[in-house]
Amino acid sequence: MFATLAGKALVPVGLAVTGFMVVCCLVLYSVIREDLHRGEIVHATNLADTILKSTRYAMHKSDRETLATIIRNVGEQRGVDHVRIFNKKGVVTFSAKQDEINRQVDKKTEGCIVCHKEGVPVTNPGTMQQARTFKNQNGMGVMAITAPIYNEPDCSSSMCHPPAQKVLGTLDIGLLRSELDRSLAMLRVQMTIFTLMSLILTIGGVAALLRKNVFLPVHRLRIYVESSVHSDSLPEPPPHLPHDLDIIATVFYNIKKGAADSKHNSEQSDDKSSS
Amino acid sequence: MKDIQKQQWVTDVTSVRTDTDLFQQGCVKEITRLNSLSTRGVLALSLFLVVSILAWYGFFFLPEPDAVTAVIGKPPSSRIISVVLLLYTFSAIILSLSRMTANMEHRSSFSHVGYLTAFFIFYYFGKSLEDNYWAVFGSGFTILGVESYRIWTFCAEGISKNREDLEYVTRTGRLPPRE
Repeated sequence: MFATLAGKALVPVGLAVTGFMVVCCLVLYSVIREDLHRGEIVHATNLADTILKSTRYAMHKSDRETLATIIRNVGEQRGVDHVRIFNKKGVVTFSAKQDEINRQVDKKTEGCIVCHKEGVPVTNPGTMQQARTFKNQNGMGVMAITAPIYNEPDCSSSMCHPPAQKVLGTLDIGLLRSELDRSLAMLRVQMTIFTLMSLILTIGGVAALLRKNVFLPVHRLRIYVESSVHSDSLPEPPPHLPHDLDIIATVFYNIKKGAADSKHNSEQSDDKSSS
Repeated sequence: MKDIQKQQWVTDVTSVRTDTDLFQQGCVKEITRLNSLSTRGVLALSLFLVVSILAWYGFFFLPEPDAVTAVIGKPPSSRIISVVLLLYTFSAIILSLSRMTANMEHRSSFSHVGYLTAFFIFYYFGKSLEDNYWAVFGSGFTILGVESYRIWTFCAEGISKNREDLEYVTRTGRLPPRE
């Protein structure tokens, strides 16, 4: 296969085109996944901000019932895995799941450890540091955001919290990644199909053009030369050959014709001399 | 006069013999050299596979990315590294195909392993090796695959030509006609 003209022409082209297209698709997929993940984090952060802003008045008025209702309603939204608020000690004070309330959260668990790694916890984590991904008890992917509830001037001025306390609690919201995973799976399938189609078109196109313009004319020339060598008569060069091959065929024909003529002349002169 | 002619003829025959002997020795040497060169591409590909296995296990012998970036600063973003990887892959393939077309002998395979290892390390320190592992692996496999094919075909053609020359010298006792 590698020794033939077709193999020599198609193997490097096929390898280079296939490899480059696969690398392009992998890089593109990685970039798109990163963008989608970033967008999901921004979406979750905005949702957390919205919840904090909508609950601020209820917190200010110490209206626990309204606060619990807001958290419960948000938790019932499609695509929301959990919504909870911890106090400073890590005890869940509000949650969309009733069984979580008043339970202590382990600060060493995934998502908490990011800020609680050192002795003094980080109070202003960046947006990307707040995000974490994990699988829930049902084995579904979750992307969660923890947003600190800061002690703002109106919180400390109403004598509810001392001004020295920087963080009053934390809002933790988790969104299911099933939609994102489905989109990524669809993207993978589409990219694979697109790559395969492009490869078939490229390799098939190159192979078809080579076959039509190179391999078949070369094959016809080969048949012509072989038949001329093995037969006594001198056939005409095959018609409609590409220019370069036509020159070769014509030159071969002329050489063969010259040799035949000289042989014919020498035979005639031999006959004359013998008679 | 006859003695002088005979002596001249002996000298000519001896010099022709020396030339053909030297030529045969040169051919044998060249065949040996090309034989050893032909495995160079495959060796580079094997070395790259070893590096890829180490990358797959997260370069366990390297220090943590945070420890290194704290000293030498932040690495480029994974997006910039990916753009450079694409440009590098494109250029390397074009270069390899050009060398194949020009029938050039070039031993660049091991340098490609170095460049690809650098990409793995950059992604590792940028904490995005897991996301971009297959892109670097695909790129390396393609570049080194094309390079291996180029070196192998170059050596195969060279060996075949030298064998034909050797056979011609052995059969005729004369040097082969120059191309």
